[in-house]
Amino acid sequence: MAEDGLVAVGARNVRKTFGHVNALTDTSIAVRPGEIVCLFGDNGAGKSTLMKILCGLQPPDPGGGTVIIDNKDVVLDSIRDAQRHGLGAVHQDLALAPDLSVLENMFLGHEIFRSGLLGRLGFLDRRSMAKQADAALRKLAIRLPSLNVATGMLSGGQKQALAVARAVMWSTKAVLMDEPTAALGATQADIVCQTMRSVADAGLGVLVVSHDIPRMLDTADRVAILRHGRIVKYAPAHSMTVPEVVTYMVGGKVDAA
Amino acid sequence: MSVSINQGTDSTALVAESPRRAGWRTLLSRTAFWIAVTDILLILIFGLLSRNQVFLSGANFQNLALDGTQVILLAVGAALLLAAGEFDISLGANVILSSVTSGIVVSNLQTDSFLILILVGGLVAIATGATVGLINGVIVTRLKVNSLIATLAMLGIVTGTANILTGGADLAGIPTSLQSDFGTHYLFGMFPLPAVIAIVVTAIFWIVMTKTRFGLHTLASGSSRASAERAGIKTAAHITALYAIVGGLAGLAGLIDISRFATTNIAGHQVDSLAAIAGAVIGGTSLFGGRISVLGALIGAMLAVILQAGLVVLGLPSFYQLIAIGIVLIAAVYLDESRASRKFRLVRKKQPQRLKTQRFKEKE
Repeated sequence: MAEDGLVAVGARNVRKTFGHVNALTDTSIAVRPGEIVCLFGDNGAGKSTLMKILCGLQPPDPGGGTVIIDNKDVVLDSIRDAQRHGLGAVHQDLALAPDLSVLENMFLGHEIFRSGLLGRLGFLDRRSMAKQADAALRKLAIRLPSLNVATGMLSGGQKQALAVARAVMWSTKAVLMDEPTAALGATQADIVCQTMRSVADAGLGVLVVSHDIPRMLDTADRVAILRHGRIVKYAPAHSMTVPEVVTYMVGGKVDAA
Repeated sequence: MSVSINQGTDSTALVAESPRRAGWRTLLSRTAFWIAVTDILLILIFGLLSRNQVFLSGANFQNLALDGTQVILLAVGAALLLAAGEFDISLGANVILSSVTSGIVVSNLQTDSFLILILVGGLVAIATGATVGLINGVIVTRLKVNSLIATLAMLGIVTGTANILTGGADLAGIPTSLQSDFGTHYLFGMFPLPAVIAIVVTAIFWIVMTKTRFGLHTLASGSSRASAERAGIKTAAHITALYAIVGGLAGLAGLIDISRFATTNIAGHQVDSLAAIAGAVIGGTSLFGGRISVLGALIGAMLAVILQAGLVVLGLPSFYQLIAIGIVLIAAVYLDESRASRKFRLVRKKQPQRLKTQRFKEKE
């Protein structure tokens, strides 16, 4: 679907069934490096299933299509697998440990150790981690009170931004985001959208699932609309209006997408 | 000492506190500081009330340190588990079983060599404790039995085993060199050796918890198990290892038990686990996981020990210590609750201020 052939993250003819339920039937999507694609769809349309397949939480049906990361067909066994290929995901629950600091959350599972014997004993190099974390947050224009503040003390928007920054830090190709603005007020949501744009500007592909249609039409480059496990519309965001998106989501007139 | 990496008009720089300052903050949290003050005040009060101020004598301080040794070891252990969101109320029973197994082995060793006795006795005691801990860990993480229930069950199993091994009577015939060269030995003629060991152990775990990945993963597991898993931490294995380590600490306390008294104390140690958890929580470790103060555990453990000794010096029957520990535990949990709610009230007020100072710095 990507005309120039570059795919940061995507799926080709993916099928997923749960018993008799067809969650996804022959779904293809492609997010190019540097663009934001927003995935719309009513409840049960298959958004979550598609995201889970893309980030390695679930495999597609046997023989039911492939996941593409950085132009390569990949088989993913786990989230770690997807991370190794350069794909990060921000889940709705954010997966931040509230008592740990911003810094500790950013490096959890990716710690930097001191050199020599101390490093081999598991001693952390907080100075290097702070430097890298600071650079990563700066690149995304994310402002937080301090790297040492407990994450539980941050506002909703700051938490979301932090989770995005962490995903970006360990991703080189693409980032998936599940409802990043769902629990946020307008100002906070704008911060997250700006962050999303910064991520895309850094050359990563961004695929975001959202119900916030107006904001996403402003933010995204393209929109993909899922209905009954099928992509029914894939178009530039500026060419769509909110009523059109809703119509595609719930049915009514449906072009051959 | 700020790690602010600020370039020109870049408006995104962070004002990060230095890692070292964060370290000092965790060394002595505000709670631990006030408990330390309480410790000292209590000593002074008991000192004034005691006849001829014996409570302030050097000998009494040595006694307090010795009495505190086991509670400190267990409190540090309880703090480690609490930090990971776990409980172990079989710690006291584990002390008994470890003292029994190592007591049986050393009294059958037929040697006068202190070195062999302490090495073999220590190995058996710590191995026993670690094994019990390991079983606890497996039951909690693999069979997914709630840790309170699992270790309550283990409390019964372990106590029963200790009684079966000894026929219910305390062991006699433990070599006296363990006592003279270890249990009641004073380093430089002044510092009781077991207490020194407890302090060294506390220091080691303080370093582990604040400086290493093991500590970070422990806190992450306690703060949000799901997040830790998502970050790739194998929490089941980590927590199982943690239970084993804490069991090892209980084993060490068991070795100290037989070394100090040259006998076991099968009927004792009933409130050890409670005292340990109380000491940990009152010292600033969260009952809900994710936050630990290792030094606070030492200070909190000493609070119970000082209370206990003080009540005895005042001539009250030793039964009052049970009541004292119960009260301390409730106070500790109450403090922890109010700490948690106060924390979030403070945050709301503090944040704008912080942002203001940040802006100010950026203008420079």
